[in-house]
Amino acid sequence: MTREFQRGHKARISDLTRGTDLYVGVQIAGPGLTFDISCFGLDADERLSDDRYFVFYNQPKSPEEAIQLLGPQAGDTESFRVTLDRIPPHIRKLTFTATIDGAGQMAQIGPGHLRIAAGGQEVARYSFTGSEFTTERAVMLGDIYYKDGWRFAAVGQGFDGGLEALLKNFGGEVLEDEDSGSRSDGVPGFAPPAEDDAPPPFAVPSGPSTPAAPPAPAAAAGPAPATPAPTGAAPAGSSQSAAPQETPPAPPSPASRAAPGPAPAATPAPAAPAPPVYAAPTVAAPMPPAGDTATPPPPSPAPAPAAYDPQAHAQPSFGGPPHAPAPAPSAPPPPGYGQPPAPQAPTPPPGYGQPTPPPGHGQQPPFGQVPGAPRTAVPQGLPQGDTQGVPDSPPQGAGVTAALQKYKETPTGQRWTLQNGTLVRVDLGTDGLPVLAKQGSMVLYQGKVDFSYKGAGVMGRIVGNVTGQEMQLMRCTGQGQVFLAEDATHLHPVELQGDAICVSADNVLAFDESLHYEVRRIEGHGIPGGALFTLQFQGTGTVVVKTHGTPVVLPVTPTTFVDSNAVVAWSAAAQVIVSSQVHTRRNAYPGHTGEGVNLQFRAAPGNFVVVQPYEV
Amino acid sequence: MNQPLAGCAPAPVTARMENHGSHMVKVALQTGNDLFARVGSMVAYEGFIQYEPNPPAVRQIARDWMTGEGAPLMKCSGDGLLYLADYGADVVVIDLGGDGISVNATNLLAFDAHLQWGVERVKGLAKFAGQGLWNTTISGHGWVALTSRGTPIVVDCGSGEDETYVDPDALVAWSPGLKVKGRRSFKAQSLIGRGSGEAFQLAFSGQGIVVVQPSEDSADRLRFRG
Repeated sequence: MTREFQRGHKARISDLTRGTDLYVGVQIAGPGLTFDISCFGLDADERLSDDRYFVFYNQPKSPEEAIQLLGPQAGDTESFRVTLDRIPPHIRKLTFTATIDGAGQMAQIGPGHLRIAAGGQEVARYSFTGSEFTTERAVMLGDIYYKDGWRFAAVGQGFDGGLEALLKNFGGEVLEDEDSGSRSDGVPGFAPPAEDDAPPPFAVPSGPSTPAAPPAPAAAAGPAPATPAPTGAAPAGSSQSAAPQETPPAPPSPASRAAPGPAPAATPAPAAPAPPVYAAPTVAAPMPPAGDTATPPPPSPAPAPAAYDPQAHAQPSFGGPPHAPAPAPSAPPPPGYGQPPAPQAPTPPPGYGQPTPPPGHGQQPPFGQVPGAPRTAVPQGLPQGDTQGVPDSPPQGAGVTAALQKYKETPTGQRWTLQNGTLVRVDLGTDGLPVLAKQGSMVLYQGKVDFSYKGAGVMGRIVGNVTGQEMQLMRCTGQGQVFLAEDATHLHPVELQGDAICVSADNVLAFDESLHYEVRRIEGHGIPGGALFTLQFQGTGTVVVKTHGTPVVLPVTPTTFVDSNAVVAWSAAAQVIVSSQVHTRRNAYPGHTGEGVNLQFRAAPGNFVVVQPYEV
Repeated sequence: MNQPLAGCAPAPVTARMENHGSHMVKVALQTGNDLFARVGSMVAYEGFIQYEPNPPAVRQIARDWMTGEGAPLMKCSGDGLLYLADYGADVVVIDLGGDGISVNATNLLAFDAHLQWGVERVKGLAKFAGQGLWNTTISGHGWVALTSRGTPIVVDCGSGEDETYVDPDALVAWSPGLKVKGRRSFKAQSLIGRGSGEAFQLAFSGQGIVVVQPSEDSADRLRFRG
């Protein structure tokens, strides 16, 4: 069950999943653009008071590993693992950001998303597109923050200035122009574990000038990956290797400029001069460098990939060992990402896919179970119980209760709780306010609940008289829990906080009686019954909208057209125009004599329309 | 070839019954360990499997199921893999392990033949509902597969006096230990259930669970296929 988030939506993570070991994936791409995706761990004042909680490609994990960078996988440009219950108390907010590296604007990005998965299941997804942005160079995509429990908020706020502006926004110190020595003061947070001996091996090829500075990040990255679990090792390792890779080409100054510095500066690196040369040795003898790097104590797998210079390994592994020398710098394996994949870290597959092991190895996850992927990558510490690989196998253990465990009722707490994608529970006990629900939608209730026919009042009369088909409501009052569902349609509780939404009358399942609602009628030729009835809800409360299938939420643009039969809801600020000149329908369905009716929307940016894949 | 489909290959067998995806069940049949399945639910099989619709043993037990038309069950025997589905309904696989469960007749997909089972009318309901509600109580050590329109939800009835009321059309299964009684909404105005008028629920009390589907579609699709 994935919950779709819109910009500004918030939810408790405990309502999304009971797991605390989350996979956070960000997918963002644009033609010719490269992105740095980072996670800022902020304190209660929303400041980056502790640099070690700025998790990015040069620092792939926080000290206690509550936040780890996993690298691209399962279709995500970048992914993180966040273990909520290990986050130290002084970190109260994790902000996930994407910054464009180099030139570009956020308006150029294609559709992307930030998603959260737990226990192998995607539980939340915030989708965005370039049309929501303009000239920004950085964007805060989403927050996981603590307020009586961990919550998730879809933010989608752009910043003009890029990564540095973001850092300043969070009170991070962007160290200007300090030289290699900076590690001591500027980068203290980052470099603590840095061992100078580690970097040298990497730095060597790159050039003499940078020894001190680059090492810092590299080393920082180095020790970290050491521990991550087996599979995780691949990305970790490669990210580590990524560090060196950038460092060589990168001018020393940025590298030393504290974390933020290298980020932007480093990306162009791929073209690095040294690599080709370096490549050969690495392929030939992967192990030795690993030995040199000694610092990372880790299991052999980790160092091995580490030994590879990103370019080096990218190309040999991909091109296959034979071609090793050929496509050196241009080798960018995942073509989609352009070269910079390296800095972004992982390219785990390549690292893994190195000659011997089955080439597919690193890649398997993306295949079937997208959500499964994070799991495989993050083997250890499975707080959530049934995290084993086999998704479909029934929970082992005999007995009815064991078998049905995964269908258990989710714990109480809120007034409206989505039990699974198709069933919602309303707890009438919490504030005693009555709920209006479509008649017949109750499937089960507990407690003392009284159902009474709701004289639909004006609404009933209008809807009923005109369409001849009354929208029948029942009022649920009392104390207890009522489970509502209808025809296994997907349900979406929409929480209104003073805003307004229009919902097609057919798609309303239930709502708080505290909401103010009125009937709006959209007339047009060809609409069955002569008009489309919608309910406009306003105020504070929840409306449960039902859709057949997974709906799509479209931003309203001047050219948004929607079939009047498939429209579910739209933000009330959007103005509807009926346009019936398009005859698609007649052509599409021979024998259908009616005229296709499309609704066009006119509204300021930020408005949306919800459409279901089903024409009632 | 067909990479997107490659992920759909069957997983190796690890248990007598397993879900393949959420809408299909895969049963590993061996000789001597037969299976009763709803007639028409087979979508594929591998190996040597024979089907005997409406076997005498079943007729004996379920003689008055569905107005005497005979039990819509077939006995599957042989060696092989059997795939069952019911028009895209979610399938829930349960290893009983000695427990028992009462299943609404239309939601029963398959069960091991060696389990103890019996068919009865749901008490208290028959007089309200037109066709009555049949349920099968199954217990023993073995496997049962249920269907549900949409992902089901399992609700614990608690233990006290509290009753849990369920729309009979949405009911899938329940613990046999629960006390069931029909309950009519007495308010003339209350029209729960289908809007058609008969407003009744089943009230469950006692210790156990109730499984409910998020749909009031209780039509028996397999039955309509003929």
